[in-house]
Amino acid sequence: MTHYILESKHKSVTLGMIAVGVLCLILSFFMEPDTLTGVGADGHAINTHARFWTNLLHNSVFFTGIAFISFFVITASITAYAGWYVAFKRLWEAFGSFMIVGLVFMMIIAIAGFLHVHHLYHWGGNIEGDRILEGKAGFLNNYWYTFGTLIIVGVWYFFYRKMRSLSLAEDEHGNAGYEHHKTMRKWAAPFMIIAGFTSAALIWQWVMSIDGHWYSTMFAWYSTASWFVSAISLTILVMIWLKSKGYYQEVTDEHMHDLGKFLFAFSIFWTYLWFSQYMLIWYANNGEETIYFRERIDNYPILFYGNLVMNFALPFLILLRNDTKRKYGTLIFVSVLCLFGHWWDYFQMIKPGVVHTVHDYIGHGNHSDALNDMEGHIDEVGHGASEFISGFTLPGFLELGVFVGFLGLFLFFVLNTLSKAPLVPKNDPYLGESLHHHVGYGGGNEVHH
Amino acid sequence: MSATVSPIREPLIRGSKTYHQITEDLCAPTERTPSAAWVIAFILAVGGLATYAFCLLWTVWNGIGTWDLNRTIGWGWDITNFVWWVGIGHAGTLISAILLIFRQKWRTGVNRAAEAMTIFAVVCAGQFPLIHMGRLWLAFFIFPYPNTRGPLWVNFNSPLLWDVFAISTYFTVSILFWYMGLVPDFATIRDRATGLRRRIYNFLSFGWTGSAKHWQRWEAMALILAGLATPLVLSVHTIVSFDFATSIIPGWHTTIFPPYFVAGAVFSGFAMVQTLMLMTRKILKLEEYITMAHIESMNKVILLTGSIVGVAYLTELFIAWYSGYIYEQFAFYNRVFGPYWWSYFGMMSCNVLSPQIFWSKKMRRSIYVTFVMSIFVNIGMWFERFVIIASTLARDYIPSSWSYYWPTWVEIGLFAGTLGLFFTLYLIFVRVAPVVAIAEVKSILKSSGDQYTPSTRETVGEEAVRKSNLDY
Repeated sequence: MTHYILESKHKSVTLGMIAVGVLCLILSFFMEPDTLTGVGADGHAINTHARFWTNLLHNSVFFTGIAFISFFVITASITAYAGWYVAFKRLWEAFGSFMIVGLVFMMIIAIAGFLHVHHLYHWGGNIEGDRILEGKAGFLNNYWYTFGTLIIVGVWYFFYRKMRSLSLAEDEHGNAGYEHHKTMRKWAAPFMIIAGFTSAALIWQWVMSIDGHWYSTMFAWYSTASWFVSAISLTILVMIWLKSKGYYQEVTDEHMHDLGKFLFAFSIFWTYLWFSQYMLIWYANNGEETIYFRERIDNYPILFYGNLVMNFALPFLILLRNDTKRKYGTLIFVSVLCLFGHWWDYFQMIKPGVVHTVHDYIGHGNHSDALNDMEGHIDEVGHGASEFISGFTLPGFLELGVFVGFLGLFLFFVLNTLSKAPLVPKNDPYLGESLHHHVGYGGGNEVHH
Repeated sequence: MSATVSPIREPLIRGSKTYHQITEDLCAPTERTPSAAWVIAFILAVGGLATYAFCLLWTVWNGIGTWDLNRTIGWGWDITNFVWWVGIGHAGTLISAILLIFRQKWRTGVNRAAEAMTIFAVVCAGQFPLIHMGRLWLAFFIFPYPNTRGPLWVNFNSPLLWDVFAISTYFTVSILFWYMGLVPDFATIRDRATGLRRRIYNFLSFGWTGSAKHWQRWEAMALILAGLATPLVLSVHTIVSFDFATSIIPGWHTTIFPPYFVAGAVFSGFAMVQTLMLMTRKILKLEEYITMAHIESMNKVILLTGSIVGVAYLTELFIAWYSGYIYEQFAFYNRVFGPYWWSYFGMMSCNVLSPQIFWSKKMRRSIYVTFVMSIFVNIGMWFERFVIIASTLARDYIPSSWSYYWPTWVEIGLFAGTLGLFFTLYLIFVRVAPVVAIAEVKSILKSSGDQYTPSTRETVGEEAVRKSNLDY
């Protein structure tokens, strides 16, 4: 089977997932936790619908990132003269197509920010008197957020369309001179540089600025590594599903083994970045920085430690052996774990900061004086510990539902893109290498075929 | 049978070599009388080594007061040199371990010399922490052991101590890795030698016979060591970066330091590999084994890591502004516009701007440009460490203690002297061991020899293929 056919069954399953997501998103709009609502001076109820907005932001950032990093992997592989992945590069091309959908979601959030509809960002409200946020206002403002997002994701998508059309053209008109591939190289390398700078700028805006006072130079690389592991996990899952339907028989245990190696290696890499960031902040013991982790360890211990168990301890121990990277059972298990685990990671990056911003806004805990915000934070750690906030302290059913919905939407676009071109590209100069790929594993029991 | 190779992949072994020719070519430098070029280079290197010995004695005899360090600037050229040399010592293990795991075939042309260079660079690096203690004879105090000094232990909380462990581990594993690769090649030399020379290489090759079992164990060992060495490539410079980043000194305490130091280390390591390989391939006539394809690949790594370092520099600058923390902002303002602006300028232009010329394929494949660039990067990475260390310390919280630092002749002599030490070791190495790994190059002949590679097969001709098939 050279072409993937988008069967009506696949369509209805993904649409069903989307329906679940929409339902849960709507419910989360109305099911704001009590502790995040308040009463204004004029007696009006204040509801910022933070649960809804955080769910939207969390999943938009997560899945846009997966699409972006999948495309980034293609450009990196082309630049590095890699050959092994070519047989299934169409899958990563399909992943990349979601960027445009992600852009739409991020624009919704951006425009809502302009209209002061949500209170996701510490800098989004009235920052008068907050000297730290005033100092950052040149970067943390709605104009930067909106146009930065629009231009940067727009540029990414432009490069993506260019590469995709070259890849399709290569199928049609590829020749012995490999002109298309050579042109692709010229587009791929600059994209890596652009992506290196711009992804950092976006992550600072989208995620790091939620905790507006806090900063860490590592943050952008850390969250990009999180995207990367998620993308590899999802690649393995979709690939195994496609193979079970009879597609991609060219993709063998050898390729799965290498994907498994990537999952293993970058889980460790993510942990390396996590450790470097945490350890340096812990060691220097500087209150402005430690507050970020203090908050999470005290009030969100399951999020904090679960992150390490799911994204480091388990994948490390399971994938350490050679054969677990070739068995579908273990691969599926670890991929589900890592995909969920890194979604969880973004959850813990996003939710705790928003709780503070909303508390500030509704005047919870009487620390509306922005100058004393730091004391306010510390104060809150004290009496916030006993408080369980649905959809914030831990992901609830609605959060899981929204995740399922976004996953459905992602898959819908991916499968749709996948159905539009042959699964295995033609005329790629490295195709032969990919079809004969062998990792040199001599271990005993070959499980499949 | 030849492997499936992409029609646009370049060959990595030129000259339609046969297995026998490879042995001949690569053993030859150890078997002939040294050339005049080698002798001159060796005399110069030993001269440098003598300078080092003299300045070392001078420092130990007269004390650290012979340097220009002062109360404000407690670390100067000493630690700058230390970090610079450790960084250079990263390329070898990256090439031998990480590129082995990534199955990069071009590693076989350069891994032996790069690993040797790594070991020699770490030897040079190790000098400086010892010298800068001042009282060299108490250096063993850095080892944690039950002692007669009362309950006086090393400070386990200090990254400076972690450095001792990290670097000695790295040094040990690098030597193991290097020596293990040398065993089959020493056996090859042994089999061609006679007399005392044969006896020496017989001892060095541990009774290697080349049996299937030997090779099987050798390959298993290579993978295990690669697995162990890969985290070490990251950990060594990570811990070096902790020396700075665990402090609360503005400009030092920044969370991006670990991966950024590692990228910078790989960057400088590859530059030094280029410097050495360009000279070595010319003098030892190894152009067919260390080809333009190797040089181009390494230039790409230099471009990539240089750009990663560039992203990190700009991230630091931006976040310093973003932090809203005036001391952090001042630290970076001072780096760019302060009294040491010239070292920041040198760092930026050598590390970030100049490698960008490698976007051009023509430049990547020019020997002269590559050589000049490799020197630039070596200089730039030295400046980077100087910027981080001296320019940051020179402007602390109390303006009355602000200071300026300029090295004395002793410090300059020590640095220049370690270059002598480094080249002395390297020049001895090229005389006693094959500079290119014979066995490993042979393992890629059928996939990457120019008579087998689709992109060059036709130009080389069928005759060459027939000849090399007959040979085996």
